[in-house]
Amino acid sequence: MSQITVETAGLRKAYRSTTALDGVDLRVGPGITGLLGPNGAGKTTLLRILATVLAPDGGTVRLLGRDPADADDRLAVRRRLGYLPQEPGLHPNFTAFEFVDYVAILKEMTDRRARHGEVRRVLELVGLGDQAKRKIKALSGGMRRRVALAQALLGEPDLLLLDEPTAGLDPEQRLRFREFVSTSPDQTVVLSTHQTEDVAALCNAVVVLDQGRVRFSGTARELSELARGRVWLAEARDPAASLSWRTGDGGHRHIGDAPADARLVEPTLEDGYLLLLGRRAADELAA
Amino acid sequence: MSDPATTWHAEPDLLDRYARGDIDHARACSLEAHLLECARCRLALAPAVDTGRLEDSWDGLVAALDAPRPGRMERLLVRLGVREHTARLLAATPTLRLSWLAGVVLALGFAVAAAHGGRGERSLLLFLLLAPLLPVAGVAASFTRGVDPTYDVALAAPMPAFHLLLIRSTAVLGTTMVVAAVAALGLPDLGWIVAAWLVPAVALTVVSLALATFQAPVTAAATVAAVWVGGVLGSEALSDGGLRAFRPGPISSAAFTAGGQLALVAVTILALLVVTSRHDRFEIERTV
Amino acid sequence: MAETLDDPRSDQQLVEAMAGGDRSALRSLHSRHAPWLLLRLSRRCADPAIVEEVVQDTFLAVWRKPAAYKGSGPVAAWIWGIGIRRLVDQFRRQRRPMVEVAEGMATTPSAEEQLLLGVEHGDLGAALNRLSPELRAVVQATVLDGLTTREAARLLGIPAGTVKTRMMRAKPQLREALL
Repeated sequence: MSQITVETAGLRKAYRSTTALDGVDLRVGPGITGLLGPNGAGKTTLLRILATVLAPDGGTVRLLGRDPADADDRLAVRRRLGYLPQEPGLHPNFTAFEFVDYVAILKEMTDRRARHGEVRRVLELVGLGDQAKRKIKALSGGMRRRVALAQALLGEPDLLLLDEPTAGLDPEQRLRFREFVSTSPDQTVVLSTHQTEDVAALCNAVVVLDQGRVRFSGTARELSELARGRVWLAEARDPAASLSWRTGDGGHRHIGDAPADARLVEPTLEDGYLLLLGRRAADELAA
Repeated sequence: MSDPATTWHAEPDLLDRYARGDIDHARACSLEAHLLECARCRLALAPAVDTGRLEDSWDGLVAALDAPRPGRMERLLVRLGVREHTARLLAATPTLRLSWLAGVVLALGFAVAAAHGGRGERSLLLFLLLAPLLPVAGVAASFTRGVDPTYDVALAAPMPAFHLLLIRSTAVLGTTMVVAAVAALGLPDLGWIVAAWLVPAVALTVVSLALATFQAPVTAAATVAAVWVGGVLGSEALSDGGLRAFRPGPISSAAFTAGGQLALVAVTILALLVVTSRHDRFEIERTV
Repeated sequence: MAETLDDPRSDQQLVEAMAGGDRSALRSLHSRHAPWLLLRLSRRCADPAIVEEVVQDTFLAVWRKPAAYKGSGPVAAWIWGIGIRRLVDQFRRQRRPMVEVAEGMATTPSAEEQLLLGVEHGDLGAALNRLSPELRAVVQATVLDGLTTREAARLLGIPAGTVKTRMMRAKPQLREALL
């Protein structure tokens, strides 16, 4: 509530043909912050900049009170950082333990015994204690993602950046994943995802990014409240409605104007998000 | 050797004093000999040892059970004085895999065969052209995102990318050159020119690293390769005039003369300076 | 820890189980033998970090090659043989002489203790106490710990020739006690 650990102002990044970030202003503090947005919103680019892996074209960044444009500051930040990229590249011939051990060496853990103990700790944290000796190519997709998450947790980082951590996981695995992102109150976690349920379950703060700009920044509750008085449940689908879909128990949920014979329901985070971003986001969620 | 079913057992007080170190030598030795044979006294001794210490011992053991066993190469490096964690990083270098080395051996084997198929120095041309390019390709490949899957994670880690680059480049350059040297033994004996690929190998690799501070690694490697091949073949063609350049005869390309080799050494030093002064470019990505 | 001490298998059966990859067997073996091994090694090396590492390496070796136990003699003796040799290896690598562990206060042996001394070593026990520390260390290393001359030399940080000389001086003194 009090301190800001991640701050950007006017952040810009363009690739050859597209603008990925178009003036992003961000203020994030300790706790779990969800970064929501459709594909192409610029979430991965933003996370790469926060992970000090990519330099922005313009704007300023402050991470844990430091400026990653400065080499010494950047090193200091990297010592307290954990990053799970969207495509967590893993060497297929390594065992889970070997891979996390390799990253641990890159994180300057030179004492072998202490390092092995830490590797074991993070593997057990993500529930892979028994799989430590298995080769990565023999692990399922969900397990591989957990290996990648384990490496991000090495050294108890103050800043943890997770890019689509639940991609490719089935609903049960997603539920289990939520247990692994338990944090200490001083830790800052930025969780980038397009899964609104993950955000609703885990995050106190939410930032919605779309087409390189911040569309919303506040608490999860505030995002839900955007849709207050605008969410309806009806038996049938109103053809005029812009945003509607079938719910699991046969009815139709509508966001926007009231359809015929509908009753008002409590808005969820997803409702607020959809209202904010419109049809495009809804199509993506349905996919 | 005393009867394992001896009726004598250590008093708790004796065991305590032994655990504390408050016991004379002879008694300690006797007790130790007894403990080797008596499970009951071992059991009685166990509580005298701090449980925290025993738990730590077990935890460390389990971690060691899952830890990677260093391969032969790693153990050799450690014996040569390389630190354990550096050796581990080397072992993880993507291009030091057997598939890569097999490709290198194949390419060089082909070049050696070609050398025996022709006459005069010119038959060596394929080998002399190829051998320096192999480490260039290897070093570039070990940094391409496609080949090294942990690229982003490694960049976000505190170990400087430059440090990792040096370790890997040295490893790739070293192994490729050893393989090439062994292959070169199979070349026809035509004097010192048979070793004229050594200096270019180092020079091209360092130059490609220097270029990589301006361009992407693959682009840098391709540029270096193009200049090298074009330069050598071009000067061969120029000296003899057109296609007659590839008939048997002496090699005239400047790169393989004594003066040319010295010039390449100077280029290497220059490139090293460029790399060290611009190494910060490796630490973060500035374009796509 | 208590559960593993209740493992009904004998040491021999635990070694056989480990050959089949049974980690619980290793756990039981560790809880039975790590305590005395820690203490016994600590009396030969004052650095607890080295002792802990040697204990770990010993059980690692036991886990990786259980077939090396030939069944002759107790498992504990086999474990000791591995452990003391690992300690010797550490000293070779570190090039540090063994730090002499401080001697406890010698007290008058009780009746039971005299019996112990008599059972294990006869009058040798008392004779051992009368030896000078250097001679005693050599006797302990070669006779009691079962090391070769070279291994004893590495452990104690003295040349192999000195080990032989000191053994030669110790033997007559011990022989005297038997007469």
